[in-house]
Amino acid sequence: MFLDIDKKVKSDIAAIDDYSSRITYGQLCDFSVAFNSYITSRTLIFILSENCIGSLSGFVAALSGGIVPLLISSNTERGLLRRLIEIYKPSCLWIPDNMSDEFDYKPIYHNSGYVLLNTGFPQYPLYEQLSFLLPTSGSTGSPKLVRHSYNNIAASARNVASFFELKSEDRAIGMLPMHYTMGLSVITSHLYAGATVLLTKKSLTDKEFWEFVKVNRATSFTGVPYSYEVLYKLRFFRMDLPDLRLLTQGGGKLSDQLFREYAEYAEKTGRRFIATYGQTEGTARMAYLPADLATSKTGSIGKAIPGGSLSLCDDTGIEINENEATGEMVYHGPNVTLGYATNPDDLLKGDENRGMLKTGDIARRDTDGCYFIVGRISRFLKLYGLRISLDEVEQMIKSGFNIDCICSGDDEMMKIYITEEDKKTVLHEFIVEKTGLFHKAIEIIVLDELKRNEAGKTIYI
Amino acid sequence: MDNLERYNNIFRNEFKVGNDQLNGDLAAGNLKQWDSIKQLSLVTAVEDEFDIMLDSEDILDFKSYETGKQILAKYDVIV
Repeated sequence: MFLDIDKKVKSDIAAIDDYSSRITYGQLCDFSVAFNSYITSRTLIFILSENCIGSLSGFVAALSGGIVPLLISSNTERGLLRRLIEIYKPSCLWIPDNMSDEFDYKPIYHNSGYVLLNTGFPQYPLYEQLSFLLPTSGSTGSPKLVRHSYNNIAASARNVASFFELKSEDRAIGMLPMHYTMGLSVITSHLYAGATVLLTKKSLTDKEFWEFVKVNRATSFTGVPYSYEVLYKLRFFRMDLPDLRLLTQGGGKLSDQLFREYAEYAEKTGRRFIATYGQTEGTARMAYLPADLATSKTGSIGKAIPGGSLSLCDDTGIEINENEATGEMVYHGPNVTLGYATNPDDLLKGDENRGMLKTGDIARRDTDGCYFIVGRISRFLKLYGLRISLDEVEQMIKSGFNIDCICSGDDEMMKIYITEEDKKTVLHEFIVEKTGLFHKAIEIIVLDELKRNEAGKTIYI
Repeated sequence: MDNLERYNNIFRNEFKVGNDQLNGDLAAGNLKQWDSIKQLSLVTAVEDEFDIMLDSEDILDFKSYETGKQILAKYDVIV
């Protein structure tokens, strides 16, 4: 079974969720058998995910039974969801009970607040090593998916559990969405270790979140930079959380000031603070900074995770051999995903990356071999933990408003340049609605003209 | 400007609401845009405006226009 869940202690608790439901490893195995009896062949299904036991169990069952799920948020904009169903024609949907009215498909199995719907679409072949799919960007509505192999997810779970030194007694807060690569990494690494995942849909600013954390004596917290900003704001350092021993961070760069604060807090209180680096294309984590280096290597992502390696390349793609250098960071490892999919035919494709991922990030390597992210080649922003493709936002505006625009910015603010003053307000609302971004993270600037070079390519500001 | 006006200004700025909405109904559960990001933005604005620093509990409890007033009273800010 997936991650050998049938070899864990049967009575140990695999997950607890907001509904005070809990599921043991033994029950998870039984669930998998039942679930898979309703899906008779190796097909594609969609899991409309939420951080709860129904969603988690469906995922574990699918991977145990050779069913290939696309994990996608239950909050996915409905137009995009319809389009994905039309494009990929899954055999079944595993969805929260309260969504079942939205579909005309036939319900065939109920469990844990979720229902399995049979779509009746004729099925098609899938690459034998394909294990599951994740969207590339949860926010800008791209139907592009990342193809993961069985080896990717097994290697990721094992290696992440190893460098976090996870044990079966651990109880991790699973607050990041499970359809988000790092949220899923929290789940798989803890299941690998035979530990417990505390799944919650609550946000850090909900009282119930903190009650949940305290009642279940959470031992670790994983967040994106924005989560750490919120914790700081909530006077986290003054909170009484004696069981919480491990803080892990990923999903973008924490400010140096906050990095230092958390590293010092951890050192003073006997906790571990571990910064990591990852991408969906690398099945989450690819690098981590060991806790004992947190105070001396502020802002660093450390070195490659066990089983992987990091290197730097120059503009021509040639590896830089000097110790201290700056260049595009390249990762090699068993967690590098197979490639992308944009249509069902792509699901038959094999391994296009062959274990090598050009990250698109510019990194500096110091004399001790520690890496620091200093910039990005590809046109993506990470705002509040959401990965935003600037090219996709541009496309969205162009097709939605039929106006010209240029998007740029940094990891604090997305800047959108247009020439129509009267579109400013409505465009702002449109972007907030489509991307789910905080309104203050978007700035719209009206210019007399948008600059392009001779080849007609945009000159980014 | 009195404290009430300063307090109201913060809500007008943060949520783009009119004077008629500044009442007991203005709460996280009733206002779609009052999410976790807004919550902290609101608390920060209140702290800056009145030069106070709220405890974790009070930040988490700051979920409505009226509750906010009661919380501020604990910090000797009478709205």
